[in-house]
Amino acid sequence: MTDELRKQADEILEKAIFAAAVFQQFEQDQTDRIVEKVFKAGFNSRLKLGRMACEETGLGIWQHKVMKNIIATQLVYESIKNEKTVGVISANDHTGIVEIAQPLGPVLAVIPVTNPTSTILYKTLICLKTRNPVIISAPRAAIQCCAETVRICYETALEAGAPEDCIQIIPAGSREFTQMIMAHPRVALILATGGTGLVNAAYSSGNPALGVGPGNVPVFIDVSADIPFAISNIISSKTFDNGTVCASEQSVIVEKQIEHSVIAEFEKQQCYFLSPGETRKVEHVAIDPDTGTMNPKVVGRPVSVIAELAGISVPEGTKILLAKLQGVGREYPLSYEILAPVLAFYSAKDYRDAIKLCIDLNYLGGIGHSAGIYANDEGRILEFSRIMNAGRIMVNTPTAQGAVGGIFNQLPTSLTLGCGTGGKNITTENITARHLINIQRVCRRKADVKYFSFDHSKYYDETLDADTIIREYNKNF
Amino acid sequence: MVKFDYHQEKKHLICKFSGRMDTNESLMIIEEVQNKIMELKQGKDDTSLLDEKIDFDMKESDFISSSFIRICLVVYKQTAEGKFSIRNCDPFLKKTFKIAGLDAMLKVS
Repeated sequence: MTDELRKQADEILEKAIFAAAVFQQFEQDQTDRIVEKVFKAGFNSRLKLGRMACEETGLGIWQHKVMKNIIATQLVYESIKNEKTVGVISANDHTGIVEIAQPLGPVLAVIPVTNPTSTILYKTLICLKTRNPVIISAPRAAIQCCAETVRICYETALEAGAPEDCIQIIPAGSREFTQMIMAHPRVALILATGGTGLVNAAYSSGNPALGVGPGNVPVFIDVSADIPFAISNIISSKTFDNGTVCASEQSVIVEKQIEHSVIAEFEKQQCYFLSPGETRKVEHVAIDPDTGTMNPKVVGRPVSVIAELAGISVPEGTKILLAKLQGVGREYPLSYEILAPVLAFYSAKDYRDAIKLCIDLNYLGGIGHSAGIYANDEGRILEFSRIMNAGRIMVNTPTAQGAVGGIFNQLPTSLTLGCGTGGKNITTENITARHLINIQRVCRRKADVKYFSFDHSKYYDETLDADTIIREYNKNF
Repeated sequence: MVKFDYHQEKKHLICKFSGRMDTNESLMIIEEVQNKIMELKQGKDDTSLLDEKIDFDMKESDFISSSFIRICLVVYKQTAEGKFSIRNCDPFLKKTFKIAGLDAMLKVS
């Protein structure tokens, strides 16, 4: 069995490496033409693929899957189309350094079940833009929609002149096979988007990986905020695709003095605050008490389904369930990340306590990911941002749609959000095309005049200290 | 200039720190803190504190050094489980303890 799997892996990677060899000969204009065609084909299939993803996985809302496909095609394309990714990408006459972009080689793209078609469209576009063949590792629960997305992209890419096998999909198989591919010596990079276990497997494979950490996004509503605006934004974000975006809000933190106004506004905008008894029932269905991880049965499900699973009754049309919690951690299961329309709610006695709660939530499984603040006090915005350990701090912005970039801000549009070393990632940036090139630096001789005019014998004089030497070194006459 | 003050009510000692608790200042107060703890122990050198409770109040302090963190650990080891806490930290101090991985153990709030 293992030999058979290894043979399959070798075949896939052999095709990919041949594609890489051919692709590296392409010029920028050829590459851009392929990317544009694939973007358009993906965009034109946005409705079909959105519906397929929703029907096959049973997760989320099909219209929002369509929106994700639009983000992954139109907005990603807009953010990368003018980037130089082939040959000389910069030349600085002053420094004498010329930068040349080289492709990486075969990229293994691990796809999450929560955003299957959109993540394939996004990863395919950034790989093609950088002349890297991509191997799609699709989740079993979304194999049909993934295969269709790959088919559309691949056929279009071929028509546009891309190399054969520039896009491949790994048939739904065992975890062993995925790990075998991850560790394959011909894989240049793993783009890992998915659960913690899978991302860790990518990092442990021995191949370079760009992964994402899990999120647990706290959102602080300051007393200076426009409360109805804040609540409306939080709802639009947390209900987007039934909360499947890892950058979506997980908890709302307010100061006591505005607690009642915030609660009233949430209720006015059709959200429901759970009683303590109902909170316990939702805890039982939302979080596994042993592992502290969310129950897949609630991921991407609407409030009505979660309420039914929990055995509670909520008003029809309820958008989000909110649980008032007194603390953070294992004793308060709803303080963990839940990719569903369920929010933890905290009221702190003052600003300092509110921020300290945000720290606890930020460090409860969401280090480096994202955080949000609604405020019109610049001092507080800056202080909150300095304190949070988050790659993205969204100000007066829905975190789900804000963190992916392109809609509410000028961040590069991306469906893979780096979380920095806190999230065990190498970067806090939104992963995009420029992360998928090796940059060579051609360094022309530009001798340092100071270095060559300095009397080097002084370095060997023990009586001269650093201050004396630096003064001499920098002498300007 | 660092300031160390304390308040004792029966078996509850509250140590209040103000200013920057940098290395020198921390080294200057460690003896004083230890003396207060010895008083709390009623001079019994060989016993740990059991019922006694110690709080470090950081309301007036905005910086801690690793020496101060070590003082916290020393005091923690001398008290019974749950009897030592660090309170009234500003958010930056709270984050410092969080990054050090001590916020839960030292009951930082």
